[in-house]
Amino acid sequence: MEDTAISPFRGVVVGGSAGLCEAVRDALGGEGVEVAGSLDEAPKLDILVVIAAHSSMPFAGTAVETFATGLGGELRTAFLALKQGVTAIRAKGAGGAVVFVAAPSDGLRSFDALRQGLRLLTKSAALELGPEGIRVNIVLPGSGGTPLGRACTDTDIAAGVAFAVSDRAQFMTGADLVIDGGRMVQ
Amino acid sequence: MSRRLADRVIIVTGATKGIGRETARLLAREGAKVACTGRDTADGASVVDEITSNGGEAIFVRHDVANEADWRGVIARTESELGPVRGVVNNAGAFFVKPLADTTEGDFQGIFDVNVLGAFLGVKMGFEAIARSGAPGAIVMMSSLMGQVGFPGATAYCATKGAVTGLTKTAALEGAAMKPSIRVNSLHPGVIWTPMITGQFGDDPALADAFAADTPLKIIGLPRYMADAILFLLSDESAHVTGIELTVDGGRGAD
Repeated sequence: MEDTAISPFRGVVVGGSAGLCEAVRDALGGEGVEVAGSLDEAPKLDILVVIAAHSSMPFAGTAVETFATGLGGELRTAFLALKQGVTAIRAKGAGGAVVFVAAPSDGLRSFDALRQGLRLLTKSAALELGPEGIRVNIVLPGSGGTPLGRACTDTDIAAGVAFAVSDRAQFMTGADLVIDGGRMVQ
Repeated sequence: MSRRLADRVIIVTGATKGIGRETARLLAREGAKVACTGRDTADGASVVDEITSNGGEAIFVRHDVANEADWRGVIARTESELGPVRGVVNNAGAFFVKPLADTTEGDFQGIFDVNVLGAFLGVKMGFEAIARSGAPGAIVMMSSLMGQVGFPGATAYCATKGAVTGLTKTAALEGAAMKPSIRVNSLHPGVIWTPMITGQFGDDPALADAFAADTPLKIIGLPRYMADAILFLLSDESAHVTGIELTVDGGRGAD
């Protein structure tokens, strides 16, 4: 039988809380991916996971400098990780997969701008890198109470990331993978 | 060997050809007991034969998805021969390309009956059957990239797939409120090289190449890719996923 696991691929996980980062690394390990400690330790790469930090701020009372370093800083971090990661994926020359993980939406609109910024960065990168066999997708976790009656866990997110980077998703690029217990459709 | 669906009973409609057939085979390899339904008895027998000769468990039930009595028959036979139902893949679908001006009321009603009424009955009957199992369940609705964007010559098809997208979201909320809960998600394939496509456009390999060239990943969609996505949406890997539109289209919709 054909084995659909990704092996023996090399991956890096950038950002994220200790718990989420660990859950994602475990899930990648379960797919047979060797996870390096950082991008600098992986000049050749198959898989890049970039987890965005929480950057929540209301419009009113937020200084433009805070907005620029918070939201702008997060986008900049994601952009830089993508550039460095894609360079390493190209160096290996076998195609690859990138997954962004947005922070859970808490409904604050300026924060949603970061989420949407990451979504469109994902789609643009998917279009640009598709012909090289590099797929780019985004996992969009939810937060708080959900129609399914429980909050999203690190394990839920990690399982989605593992699917998105694996060969089981080899025709999926530029896609949103929402993991929110149905919160967004309410 | 992974067994993501060990011993779960899953109904796959339209399982005689294309995406449905590939899905039935994959789910069986992952341990599911599969009720394959469709209109073509010979193809149905051959997919069951393929699954059972590989050590899997499956039955075929002849099925018009737009017929409620047929649905009751499918579920009764599945429950008695395979056991309590844990999932449904509402895959059966019709497709045609015709300019809006030439599409008749009869054309529209025909495709609506299969793609929308069939999907509606599939969720309704699926909810009843899964609830009887006393365990959580999952339903996958086959929509399309054409349920998210327009496509000249496919007014009726796009309308039906848009309807499936909306049906999915409401069903997801009702399913989430059930105890145990039932997850409902829609899958949105791009162009997949199946009899549904070749039946309309022909099977010239140059056409497959043209579809591939039109896709950011530069490959033609295969039924296997959809089967993998359906497996993800049915399995516990997606335990917190409901009401979503999962687009698997080689990147066409990202543009």
